[in-house]
Amino acid sequence: MKIAVCVKHAVDETELKIGPSGGPVLAGAAAKMSTFDKNAVEEALRIRSSLGGEVVIFTVGPADARKSMKEALAMGADRGVHVVADTEALDSMLVSDALGKAIHNSGPFDLVFCSEGASDTYCGQVPPMLGERLGFSYAGYARKVEVAGGSSKVERTLEDSVETVECPLPLVVSVVSEINEPRYPTLIQIMQASKKPVEEATLAQLGASVQPLVKVESMVAQPMNRKRVVIEGTPEECAGKLVDALAKEGVLPR
Amino acid sequence: MTRDVWAYSEYDSVANEVLTAANETANSISGRAVMVDLAGIRDGTASFGHKLVLKGSGLPSASPEVAAEALYRAAKAAGPDVIMVGATKNGREIASRLAVKLGRGCLADVAKVSSDGRTLSGERGEYAGKVQTRVSSALPCVAAIKVGSYTAAAAGQGEVAELQVGELSSRSKPVSERKREAAKVDLKAAKIIVSAGRGVKKKEDLGLIESLAKALGGTMGCSRPLSSDLGWLPEEYHIGLTGVNVKPELYLAVGISGQLQHIAGIRDSKVVAAINTDKEAPIFQAADYGIVGDLYQVVPALEKALASRHG
Repeated sequence: MKIAVCVKHAVDETELKIGPSGGPVLAGAAAKMSTFDKNAVEEALRIRSSLGGEVVIFTVGPADARKSMKEALAMGADRGVHVVADTEALDSMLVSDALGKAIHNSGPFDLVFCSEGASDTYCGQVPPMLGERLGFSYAGYARKVEVAGGSSKVERTLEDSVETVECPLPLVVSVVSEINEPRYPTLIQIMQASKKPVEEATLAQLGASVQPLVKVESMVAQPMNRKRVVIEGTPEECAGKLVDALAKEGVLPR
Repeated sequence: MTRDVWAYSEYDSVANEVLTAANETANSISGRAVMVDLAGIRDGTASFGHKLVLKGSGLPSASPEVAAEALYRAAKAAGPDVIMVGATKNGREIASRLAVKLGRGCLADVAKVSSDGRTLSGERGEYAGKVQTRVSSALPCVAAIKVGSYTAAAAGQGEVAELQVGELSSRSKPVSERKREAAKVDLKAAKIIVSAGRGVKKKEDLGLIESLAKALGGTMGCSRPLSSDLGWLPEEYHIGLTGVNVKPELYLAVGISGQLQHIAGIRDSKVVAAINTDKEAPIFQAADYGIVGDLYQVVPALEKALASRHG
């Protein structure tokens, strides 16, 4: 089983600072492997451990993206392909084009794992775009994946139902976090990760598009203007005070 | 030539929201909004104004792969300026596939859409809602419209046209579909939400939360661990970035620590109150009123206080 996993080196939303102009400071912002991508890596490793094969990590991003690559390799992936590109001028069409070409070049793959969406921008477009570009079957929002004999059964969690679909391989799948509990790499695995092979490619080398079709016009911080009133006392006193405060706000039923 | 803005969703209620976005955009480019219907599955519902019914073998279909191909073939034939798709889970797939097929830009989960006739732009929350980003794409383009960001369009009168799109099939085959228990609650429309988090120790204790929600005339929700990891509540109760985004008058977070991904889903609440044992919990930074205390004592006390208010 040859398995690709797509990983995004995402801006750490918990650390993001707001600049004096009211916009986020993205240049030099702290970044980490997109939260749910760990579930994608974990699922690939789980399938490798039962069916054998190879897990290859793909990422598109600046030089710094090597950190997330290393983290995925430390979790247990075999090798990586890093498409070096400037983060600020990427859109889903561009990233899926680059990933599709890189995956095609290193293929053929049986399975491609992504997460449902990146923890920073949460567009959720790259996985289905990748399925479409590669011409593979596709299943989004998977909470269970079973692979056997050239086919797969995927449980998809939708708004009002859980749908089970049978998808022939090769398959692109996006996973939700409930699919598994990602492992933590050991110290030894972290040290060994830097020795694992990582190929580098540029967008130009892949013949991928370099012009994003979606442009960012403006970014405005959304400060949370909450009152942050701390209510103290016994549970009864607190309850009474909260009910009074909420009544004054006019948000309690009459 | 008329400039058409298409609206599509596999859910009627969402389709009507998308139609509102399409109407607004159509007005600003002197065009018209057209509801696209796959194989006449909306025949029984109210008239939506202009309507384009796509017919082909394999339709109707629940497969987003089929829907995307049908919309693509129709778009090649009819040349709309914008195709708007409701950003449900399947809708995001449809919009993304369409963008690749057409080789055009695709706005993801956007609200407040506007057009100057050459481009389409829209606003989206990013970085767990810390930032509102306005993104744009040249026309023609695809846009996934954020669910709940527009009110449903009123029924209207208009032309109905049909278009044959040929044979369609999907690589993936449905094996089974288990509808979730009919949602008793619509969190998106709820005025008061009492939401449970990891601070609730056992599934049975959710009764406490439900009882308080009832006393307030509100609805129960939960944070991600309770629905996704523990499975104590169905997924439609999950409030947050990857679940439902809510905008109640009152959001009461009980035993929820307040991870950014949860906060992202409650930002539009009018008043937020929180109960948590840990005074350092980030939820208190995102709340108007905070009680540092044991939910097992505070929640019953709250119910009593509410009862005496009415008594």
